[in-house]
Amino acid sequence: MENPEQVFNIIVKTYSERLYWHVRRMVGSHEDADDLLQDIFLKIWTALPTFRGEAQLYTWVWRIATNETLNFLRKEKVRAMLRFSSADDLTVQKVQADPYFNGTAAEREMAKAIARLPEKQRQVFIMRWWDELSYEEIAAITGTSVGALKASYHIAQEKIKLNLSATEVSK
Amino acid sequence: MTKRNPISVPEGYFQSLEQRLQQIPVQAAAPRSKVHRFTPYLAYAASLLLLLAVGNFVLRKTAVQEDNGWDYVSYLALSLDPDGLVELKETEELTDEDIRSYLLASNISVEQLTMLSDEEAY
Repeated sequence: MENPEQVFNIIVKTYSERLYWHVRRMVGSHEDADDLLQDIFLKIWTALPTFRGEAQLYTWVWRIATNETLNFLRKEKVRAMLRFSSADDLTVQKVQADPYFNGTAAEREMAKAIARLPEKQRQVFIMRWWDELSYEEIAAITGTSVGALKASYHIAQEKIKLNLSATEVSK
Repeated sequence: MTKRNPISVPEGYFQSLEQRLQQIPVQAAAPRSKVHRFTPYLAYAASLLLLLAVGNFVLRKTAVQEDNGWDYVSYLALSLDPDGLVELKETEELTDEDIRSYLLASNISVEQLTMLSDEEAY
């Protein structure tokens, strides 16, 4: 194996921006995404000596990132429960209050509809729709079958459409 | 559904992010301070102390308080106050046997019991 620091720097250069966008869409705020990315790359650095090359580096890095993101959201959920509020609403609130959002009102509603999806479904949807990963790549990262992923993506799409039409009606 | 990225980042963010992330190996290699190294152990010790304090508090609060007058006898015996014992015997009409059997069942030491007997207070 090459010098671990060099490998790590290559990982940073190759994946940091892409992972940022994934994490940002999952958690709904720039600040949380920035903090979480630090944690993800610290984990990658710590786990780098254990990387055996059995999985592709790409899959390995993404797996760490997605697991850390889900852990973060779980912790948020617990914190929200302790405050007697819903964690799902929390992500929606973050999307609503995002100062770096410069899209249209419809795009914000779409972002909020995605934020309302359950974490794993949201993850699959974002990986397929925004990150443009293939089902095979998502399957390798999440350890889920391609069929299950397709079903999850379809249900997520339907939920988003339903959510958006409900928002239209309530206006 | 149309696709256009509606979110942005602060200017120059990705450049600074890359630089910060590349500092991780350097920071991880830096020796940790003594306080940092002992923090987990201090946390365990603090948790244990807290647990003991809470346990002690709960036990004290839930323990049945026994107040049957005999505690006063113990007090008099332990403070080696024979006059007090004599007075108590007279007012409460206690026999020597009452006091002896109580003191034997209590936690009073043999030495103190001997001393009380030597005084021949009862």
